[in-house]
Amino acid sequence: MVDKGFRIKVLRKFVHLPYTYQFLLPILVFLHSKENPAYRIWVRFLLNTFREAYAHRKPVVWANSFLPSEIHYGLDVIPVLPEIISALVTYLGWSERPISKADTRISTDLCTFYRCALGLALENFLPRPDLLLSSSQLCDGANKFFSTMGQLYQCPHLLLDPPYSNHPRSHRYMEEQIEDLLKQASQILSLPFKKDRFSLVLNRSNQARQWIDKINQLRQSIPSPFPGSEGLSYLSGMNFYSVGSIWSIPFFSLLHQEIEKKVSSKKGYLPKEKYRLLWLHHVRPYYKNEIFNILSSKDAAVSFEEANYLYWPFHDSSQPWKSLAEKILSNVWAGPIERRMKAIDEMIRSYSIHGVIHFSHWGCRQSCGGAAIIGDYLKQKGIPYLTLPGDCADPNNYSPGQTRTRLEAFIEMME
Amino acid sequence: MNSFLTFKKILDDLKRNDSSCQNKKLIGWTCTYLPLEILEAANLTPFRILPEPDTEKADSYLDPNFCPFIKASLEKALSGEYPSLSGIIILNTCDGMRRLFDAWRFYCKPSFSYFLDLPRVIRPSSVAFFKESLKDLIHQLDFYFGRKITEEDLQIAIERSNRSKALMKELFSLQGMGEPPLTHGDILEILSEGWKIDRFLFNQALEKFISLLGENKKTCSEAPKVMVTGSLLDGSALIRMIEELGGEVVASDLCIGQRILNLVNLDTDPLDLLSKAYLGKPPCARMQDTKRRIEGLKQRLMESRANGLIYFSLKFCDPFLYEAPAIEEAIKETGVPLLFIEGEYTGKPGGGIRTRIQAFLEVLRRDG
Ligand code: SF4
Ligand code: SF4
Repeated sequence: MVDKGFRIKVLRKFVHLPYTYQFLLPILVFLHSKENPAYRIWVRFLLNTFREAYAHRKPVVWANSFLPSEIHYGLDVIPVLPEIISALVTYLGWSERPISKADTRISTDLCTFYRCALGLALENFLPRPDLLLSSSQLCDGANKFFSTMGQLYQCPHLLLDPPYSNHPRSHRYMEEQIEDLLKQASQILSLPFKKDRFSLVLNRSNQARQWIDKINQLRQSIPSPFPGSEGLSYLSGMNFYSVGSIWSIPFFSLLHQEIEKKVSSKKGYLPKEKYRLLWLHHVRPYYKNEIFNILSSKDAAVSFEEANYLYWPFHDSSQPWKSLAEKILSNVWAGPIERRMKAIDEMIRSYSIHGVIHFSHWGCRQSCGGAAIIGDYLKQKGIPYLTLPGDCADPNNYSPGQTRTRLEAFIEMME
Repeated sequence: MNSFLTFKKILDDLKRNDSSCQNKKLIGWTCTYLPLEILEAANLTPFRILPEPDTEKADSYLDPNFCPFIKASLEKALSGEYPSLSGIIILNTCDGMRRLFDAWRFYCKPSFSYFLDLPRVIRPSSVAFFKESLKDLIHQLDFYFGRKITEEDLQIAIERSNRSKALMKELFSLQGMGEPPLTHGDILEILSEGWKIDRFLFNQALEKFISLLGENKKTCSEAPKVMVTGSLLDGSALIRMIEELGGEVVASDLCIGQRILNLVNLDTDPLDLLSKAYLGKPPCARMQDTKRRIEGLKQRLMESRANGLIYFSLKFCDPFLYEAPAIEEAIKETGVPLLFIEGEYTGKPGGGIRTRIQAFLEVLRRDG
């Protein structure tokens, strides 16, 4: 028997080798040859990013998902998003060990995405950062997690601190902060500060936005052409991670093509669709679970997810800081809850929604804190609503029996 | 009669004789980064939302894994247990506060509600932004309550608040005086009386009380000396428990205690000064600069000659929970033992916490 410590050591070595990703690429692409081509781009995008991050030929910057991805590509660095790594690790079934490692250091009341990432960092599985960038918008956990990482890696941490209000003074303040942060980041990373590069990236982002918009419009079709479970994995992943990169335009345009084919052949992703659901919260459980199968077995399609709601306007690439400030401050999850409700109303209308599920992920205050208010608001309007408590990264907190009972009762409510 | 009861008696007498201060409108507030001077300049009485713990009702309005202080605050609002408030002001402190603001508006429908932005960093642009936000608050108060706040109003309010803070500082320096000796728990209870009443009245009561104390001698104690830091506490229950178990709390870095003693200079534009003074006060965990927090704690430990530090975090409080390990490491490097407690907003810390504090005090006693 090979001892566990030794296996971990080998695995760590393997993970840190850039060749690993080069080696895995053709294998994974072959294995997924039957999947839609956009999915294969997602695989390539990830493997390429990890290879570059471990090869470290360019500066590696860790950032959180709520920091606009255009910032990474404008700076021309390799972005590492710990929450997305945690989701991937969970998907591969490896999240338990890092989570329990982190639990020796921090409270179990905190978000498991960050606990998982902390465990991975403590066991030295992650690519070493040259700089940490985080946005305090929405998630208190993010900000403090990045501070913790700053201490662990003895690495500078820059914070973008978006205000709550969407007032003109907030826009001015945001613009100043963005410019300041980018100048500081360029200086720390010894990169030339190129405003033009940001304009280029924002143009790319605009093109990606066009395709995202088209995809979202196609998804209004009945029956639902694209599964919500995938909307909450690689589609939202690319939304948070890739916009502004060279990968985003082929990804979104190819996905659009695929969905368009389905729509023109009037084919839904389920054999029969009786109910159309909206999924609230930007994540879902990434370990093996039955949630989407249970829904499918009841002919309930997850037609759309708020994670993919397009809230930001087109960028004016001649004014990059102003545009990025606009993107940040138009975030519907930030600010008063009425903003999120308005967006939910719009999604319910556009996607002909029959019922709404709010997945309340353990440790996520920003989203779960609003679940009851949104529920009461929707109930007043006669829209069936379910709060499904759970954990997106820790399979030990998944209770199959309870989940099934709740989902079945919810479907009954719609009948 | 313990010192707190003596103070309470003085205050009650003053209240009986002065009804003018009690007819002002009350505004609920939740976070000590709010310059109360602005409310006072508007002739309003700030009323601190610091509820007795009880979360039965709020459990169905906020998620179970949510800050217990926030839930208790909402609970009281839902049961109509606050005196009649003419409005609430909540700050952009944390996810919990943002959701509290939503829930309060949604379920309690206050006539005036305001959410004040609060930067996490201190730099010229954030000070300017905070100042602009304060200006906006003033504007809204002017508009809603129909009384224009002038620069002079602000200056008077700042002077009064400075006087309060100077008196509070003096009170802390008199810990150990009197018979029975004034304890940290007494002081925190005295301060909490100030959260509900007009500043003028409170200052008068403090002055009287201090003049009584001044005649007594300071008692020297052999008890292990402890400092307490952390997130919001439900009044003085934890401090009282430490004292009851034989420890002496010599300092606290808390939003109900010594984190609020920031004085505001009065030489130029009052809003500018308020903005600087409040952003620059001793930081809590929601601010960005952990190093500054650590340095502040180390200095306070040294000044107070505490032998140990107790770090209390409410359950589900991301800022304080995430920062705990870094603070723990830094403090341990100085050789001062630290006890970390993660607890509920219960009013009475449970038996488990009691045992841990007992053991911690034992260690401090043993190590001298
Ligand atoms: S799930 Fe919530 S707490 Fe966790 S990283 Fe996302 S926003 Fe933050
Ligand atoms: S204790 Fe923590 S979660 Fe609660 S209000 Fe304060 S900072 Fe927010």
